[in-house]
Amino acid sequence: MINDKNSQKIADFIKNWARKHSIWVLAYGTGCGAIEIPPTMTSRYDAERLGVRGAATPRQADVLLITGYLTTKTLKRVIRVYEQMQDPKYVIGFGSCTINGGMYYDSYNTIKVLDKYLPVDVYINGCMPRPEAVLAGFGKLQQLIAEGKANGAQKYKDDHEYYRGNLRKIIGNKYEMPLYNW
Amino acid sequence: METILTIFIIFIAGATGTYFLGKLSGILRSVIFITTLLVTSWLFFTAVSPDVIIEFEIMGILMSWGLTPLAYVFAIIVFGLAIIIGIYAIKAMEGQRSLNFFFANFLLSVMAMFGILISNDLISFFIFWEIMSWSSYFMVVLNHKDVQRSGITYIIFCVIGAYAMMMAIMIIYSYSGSVMIGDFISNFHAFSLGMKWLLPILLLIGFASKAALMPLHVWAPGAYSNSPMSYTALFSGALSKMGVYGMVIVMIMIVQQIPDGYWIKEVIAWLGGITSAIGTLWAIKQDDAKRMLAYSSVAQLGYIIVGVAIGTPLAMMSGLFLAVMHGIFKSTLFMVVGAIERQTGTSNFTEVTGLIRKMPWTFLAALMSIIALAGIPPLGGFIGKWMLYESLMGSNHYLLIIVIFFSSTAAFLYCYKFLFGFFLGQEEKEWSHVKEAPAMMVVPMIIMAILTFVLGVFPGLILKPINDGMQFLGYVSTDNRFWEMSTIFNDWGNQVVMEPIVYTIFAIFLFFLIFLTLKGYKNTRYVTTKDISSSGEIPREDENLTFITGFMQPFFRAVAPVMKRQIDKYYTSFGKGLEALFDFTRRIYTGNGQTYALYFVIFVILLLMFRDSLF
Amino acid sequence: MESVGYYILGVIVTIIVAFMVGMTYMGLSRKITARVQNRKGPPFYQNFIDAFKLASKETAIHHGFMHHAGPAFLMVASIMSVLIIPVLNDGKWFPNLNFDGDLIFLLYIMVFGPLGMALGAGQTGNPNSAIGVTRGLSQMVGFEIPWVMALVALMMQYQTTSLVDLMAVQQTTGWLMFSSPFAFLAAVLAMLGMFRYSPFDIVGAPTELASGPVSENGGKYLFTMMSSGSIFAFAKLTLYVDLFMGGADNLIELLIKTFTIYLIPMLYGMVSPRYRTEQAIRYFWGWPLFFGFLALVHAMVF
Repeated sequence: MINDKNSQKIADFIKNWARKHSIWVLAYGTGCGAIEIPPTMTSRYDAERLGVRGAATPRQADVLLITGYLTTKTLKRVIRVYEQMQDPKYVIGFGSCTINGGMYYDSYNTIKVLDKYLPVDVYINGCMPRPEAVLAGFGKLQQLIAEGKANGAQKYKDDHEYYRGNLRKIIGNKYEMPLYNW
Repeated sequence: METILTIFIIFIAGATGTYFLGKLSGILRSVIFITTLLVTSWLFFTAVSPDVIIEFEIMGILMSWGLTPLAYVFAIIVFGLAIIIGIYAIKAMEGQRSLNFFFANFLLSVMAMFGILISNDLISFFIFWEIMSWSSYFMVVLNHKDVQRSGITYIIFCVIGAYAMMMAIMIIYSYSGSVMIGDFISNFHAFSLGMKWLLPILLLIGFASKAALMPLHVWAPGAYSNSPMSYTALFSGALSKMGVYGMVIVMIMIVQQIPDGYWIKEVIAWLGGITSAIGTLWAIKQDDAKRMLAYSSVAQLGYIIVGVAIGTPLAMMSGLFLAVMHGIFKSTLFMVVGAIERQTGTSNFTEVTGLIRKMPWTFLAALMSIIALAGIPPLGGFIGKWMLYESLMGSNHYLLIIVIFFSSTAAFLYCYKFLFGFFLGQEEKEWSHVKEAPAMMVVPMIIMAILTFVLGVFPGLILKPINDGMQFLGYVSTDNRFWEMSTIFNDWGNQVVMEPIVYTIFAIFLFFLIFLTLKGYKNTRYVTTKDISSSGEIPREDENLTFITGFMQPFFRAVAPVMKRQIDKYYTSFGKGLEALFDFTRRIYTGNGQTYALYFVIFVILLLMFRDSLF
Repeated sequence: MESVGYYILGVIVTIIVAFMVGMTYMGLSRKITARVQNRKGPPFYQNFIDAFKLASKETAIHHGFMHHAGPAFLMVASIMSVLIIPVLNDGKWFPNLNFDGDLIFLLYIMVFGPLGMALGAGQTGNPNSAIGVTRGLSQMVGFEIPWVMALVALMMQYQTTSLVDLMAVQQTTGWLMFSSPFAFLAAVLAMLGMFRYSPFDIVGAPTELASGPVSENGGKYLFTMMSSGSIFAFAKLTLYVDLFMGGADNLIELLIKTFTIYLIPMLYGMVSPRYRTEQAIRYFWGWPLFFGFLALVHAMVF
């Protein structure tokens, strides 16, 4: 009965529905985008009505929000935070910088493409994206979760070597990341 | 021969044997030591009955020995603790110096306590009291550490207490011509009113100095923390209870007979309450586990004294029950500190952290004892605390109960600090080599921990002898009125039934433990304490992230005005004043012949001047 | 055998009711907070979704046994309190343990959980957790004093320590809220600290301590703690209703009364910033302590 395909489907549906309506965000305020988070959360745009809510630590969070450019120094810490989050977990890349470097496209100390280091589920374009855009991004994520397509974490597990390899290219071998074990 | 005398002879023979034969071999010493304790305890628990009284004469003074039912309760504490701590001490003291002296002294202390309990006359009481004081003093200075301060402080307070007591005994003897405690109590009404007030106060000073009642508690932190932990367990667990034993007799048998003696009881009860509050506050502040537990002992004895001083049946019951419980959990905690000190070399919270995975059994013992100390159900400490509160309410002590509540709530702070400081927090590389203490040390601790639990579920086990002792003191039997095997009642007939509560607690705990364990069992993993959410920063192996220095700082900012005053400062300034006085006196004797001649001339002149008025 | 089965069934029903009510209240509090801040706010059942999501999280990490068992300790305290506090007058509907323990027992079992939890938080090794725990314990020393004063005043005035008796008293004298107003005031001011809403949310303090003692808990652990918190909230609210508002005869009445009480810390919290720890302690040792003294005097005189 429990292994029955249909009941599994129903269970997944309910789980995904709950995950969709309860998104706890760890806003990693790396870049200038962090300034767009407070208006998104407070009275004007009120993300809480969608079930989006801030989380204090990675252990409690579902979504890692990378708000803007990532310097090479911050990168390893962001990855550490992502690895400390508990499954299921999602990543939202926030602003142009996470897509292709944005205005930092030729900077020597920021990373250009976030997807090389973390499996991004949803990108929010703009420099800066306005709160409406952020909410739209969350809506997209909710849609993906409901459809069961937001499986970045699985991708990270499968291609762990690829992601770690990219990381090592940036930070070199001087800095050893602790092993990530599931 | 009477069993009591046999026990004494075995003790003396054991102490001598331990001291002299111990010089031959360590194993022989341990064997003699433990055999002495085992045999005496066995004799005590099987063959000693409270009815037998032995009388004999030494130098024209009649002495009488016999175990009263009240003393029986305390004797249970003494022998129970002595045997368990004795087993612990053998392993714990391994490799330290003056072992022969330590073990012989240990036996002497136990013998002296037993002697105090069986004395029916004041002379032998006093003699045993002095043996106890001196043997414990030698233990305090055994480590040759801080002798000046804590050793001298301890002996001064012992002497103050002993002098007060001796004065009382002399007065009693010169007035009534008898040194029997029974005679004294029955003839007490014949004393003059002034004596009626003076005698109990002198005796109480003697007992309170041993029970570390404020303002006579100054010696306790130094003495408790300086003696070897294997002895401090007995020191705080059993030895301080002798003061309580004396106080029980004085408060109930003698103060009761004074007109307006009510006031003495109130004052002592309030002193007890204040002792517990102050002791608790200072305990929170300590960074050294030994000193913390020492202050905590002071505070806990405060509760006991409150119960004893109030003196209603429930209060007396709670005082005696707390005395037994305190003996159990506080000696366990001292043993835990001893074990940790032996394994890591320090007893300072700021140095050692994260031992829980290295010393799990020690942690278990510490946890159970701490829960009992904090008075959290279902362990034994709760029963005593509950009865104390109920008795305070039943006897209309509106404000005292608030003081007691304050100190027992504040006690959670140091309870947590104890567990957190040693066992929880970051696991440091520095302590990764630490191993669990040897079985001979762990097993006694675990036995004690189990005892706290058993007495929590079935308080009737120990309330029965307490009830007998109280009947000896003149109370009506409290059986079925205030307690049953697993139920306790208050003055108004409300009750707490421990058995179903304990079962429910265990059922709930197990249910959720199983739930937490089984749910997602495969995906639940253990991570080290370095893998914490620290803003993405990865702590290095040698980086110490434990938060322990200035642990309760915000709390102390709130209670700062209270902590400013310290009683030892007053004593120090008093001592300084005396010193100045003596210094001034000394200057009179300059050692110069001419000055002395001058004195003589002045004296003669004065004599001549006041000749008429003087003679 | 039948009575044991009946008893266990009753316990389960009580727990479920407490869980539902507590969760709904917390959801409503989020909704009301949102409305006060002129937001739409999450639906009132948002907390159920959150709880379900937390329970359905797949991985969970722990730092050792005490951390693993911490939430179970919390649950023991919450469920025991709910079992000891009579839910309705005359022991209707919800069979529980309320004759086996009294108010003093209740006071102590209520700190059992937080201490167990504190041990769990300690084992994580996260400095934030330990700081949060010390803050929580300090604050507890603060609010416990006026709270105990209020309780002692009530218990000594009516010569009983049993909650059931105190409820029975109110059948004749009317609500204790009016006959012992000072005790009520002291207890309500202490309640502000007990519920840990602003300005007394110094334990969690998300912005400075990263949610303090729970910072290492996620998934099933946080779920257990969240449900325990809601059960505990229900227990505390019911305790206040039982003590000061004459208990309740049926569930509807209970819901109305508890929600009214619940509004006090909630609304007070919405308009307050956060205190520092020593400010919080001093707050409780100011007016609440004064009202506590008045309550004791009141109990002494009458």
